[in-house]
Amino acid sequence: MNQLDTNIWLKRKQFELRLDLSLPDTGITALLGPSGSGKSTALRVLAGLEKPHHGNIQRGQRTWFNTEKKIFLPPQQRRIGMMFQDYALFEHLSVSDNVGYGLAKEGREYHIHHWLEHLHIEDFAARFPSQLSGGQRQRVALARALAPEPDLLLLDEPFSAVDVSLRQQLRYQLKELVKDVNRPALIVSHHLEDARYLADNIGVMAEGRMLQFGKTAEVFNNPACYTVAKILGWENFLHIDEIHNTTVKGKWGKLTLEEEPHIDMAWLSIRPEHVRIASQGQSGLNATIIEITDLGAYRSVKCLLEDNSVVHMHRPWDEPVPISGSKVILHLPLLNIKALPSYIENIKSSKKETSEKLFPSAIRQTS
Amino acid sequence: MISDIDYQAVSVTLKLSGLTVIILLLIGIPLAWWLAHTRSRLKIAIETITALPLVLPPTVLGFYLLVFLGAQGPLGKFWTELTGHPLSFSFSGLVIASCIYSLPFVVQPIQAAFERLDKSAIEAAWTLGASRAKAFFTVVLPQSRRGLITAIVLGFAHTMGEFGVVLMVGGNISGETKVVSIAIYEHVEVLEYGAAHTLAAWLLIFSFIVLFMVYGMNRRLQMGFH
Repeated sequence: MNQLDTNIWLKRKQFELRLDLSLPDTGITALLGPSGSGKSTALRVLAGLEKPHHGNIQRGQRTWFNTEKKIFLPPQQRRIGMMFQDYALFEHLSVSDNVGYGLAKEGREYHIHHWLEHLHIEDFAARFPSQLSGGQRQRVALARALAPEPDLLLLDEPFSAVDVSLRQQLRYQLKELVKDVNRPALIVSHHLEDARYLADNIGVMAEGRMLQFGKTAEVFNNPACYTVAKILGWENFLHIDEIHNTTVKGKWGKLTLEEEPHIDMAWLSIRPEHVRIASQGQSGLNATIIEITDLGAYRSVKCLLEDNSVVHMHRPWDEPVPISGSKVILHLPLLNIKALPSYIENIKSSKKETSEKLFPSAIRQTS
Repeated sequence: MISDIDYQAVSVTLKLSGLTVIILLLIGIPLAWWLAHTRSRLKIAIETITALPLVLPPTVLGFYLLVFLGAQGPLGKFWTELTGHPLSFSFSGLVIASCIYSLPFVVQPIQAAFERLDKSAIEAAWTLGASRAKAFFTVVLPQSRRGLITAIVLGFAHTMGEFGVVLMVGGNISGETKVVSIAIYEHVEVLEYGAAHTLAAWLLIFSFIVLFMVYGMNRRLQMGFH
């Protein structure tokens, strides 16, 4: 197994990165997080472009970094292929010289030709990067990174420089390509769709910490905490003030859950597509509809609860919805409600810790 | 046409300017790299010293250089012991003086080019296996070529046109330290306007051709990949 084990600590003036993570040897892994979460720094640490203050990076039998043994392999010796956010093409070299930059003299022409053909850029071989479109530049950058046959592919925001219309197509091509070359790839992105579409595994980062790591669908459907859910685009959060057995109370009202939530749980969350308007006799939360937006396949309905907290509801386009200003009762199916703690950091060695001091706004009063 | 003495002045000028630019590139490129990347507190001091020749009157600079390079000066003494010849009023002394005088004209454009460089292109070269030296010669220098060309032209032209420093340090020895600008001054002093004209026109045309070629080359480079 050539999995990549990373356990490092890096400190900057305003920023601290702590990573404890095992990257699988196959497939695409995405690091997701808001800007400033440390995901790009994490990528640069793995590339050898940043030196952590402490820790260990091990890939299979090879040690890339170890503070105790005083080992630090520079980027030249890590056998990685990196694609930079703005592609960082060599503007003074032609497309084929860009692709051939990392190749040894022997067989250089053959390999250049192979990769140009593989990425469908053989027609641009003699052009300079400034004469290419965004999508073509990305393919040149990919070909250049792949040509020396790296053991690991690192991609920093691969789609940030392309049009929305191209994104879909390039995403598909990238996924196919990584499958083709059969190399593990690590992608850094702040774009949910990209990560969801491309990645087999995702890691969610915030403030220099890995909050959750796992299979993509698992993480998207079961965020481990409030912070992760926020990053993954969950919209509805109800703060828990009191827990009495299975009954949970907040300023927004009260709900009776199927099980008594753990004492650490500070939030209830539900996805907008699961919220509905209660049918007669069904209990729920009192709310007022304040905005209805038609989004084609569904309508996004914004509701205000009694404590003025907002709940978003997505209803199919053909389902009637009372007009804006109407008083309604919202039904939240118990199966779809998730109770979440404020913040949990993902620590590989299962020493999971709940930390509220980083997010003091989420401190709750349990009675 | 042109007299032997004037011809010698032209030849000394070209030799001096060429040599000065070559030496200044060798010193200036590492110095500019250091200035562009250092976080050292010394940076401001070194930058100031590098820029001093821009503001000092040539006679002030020339005077201190004369003291420094003279037979009793620190470098002059050492040089005389080493080679048996004094530095002041010699071609070697002139080259050292010119290097100091033209230093900012070479260092500043290169430093500006290094500061503008796309840092990630250099890092990309490293991740592709290029050593730091290879990345420097294949990515940094080619991407800084416009700064380098500007440095060469300014360094060469500025050395060609210097007068005060040369007069103070080099004096006026035909075939050794007499440069075109001093030759012209001498001709005018004795009212030989014809000879002054020939030399001045020669300098003018030469400068025009060099600059013209450089701008033309720059434009071609630009159209190629910008």
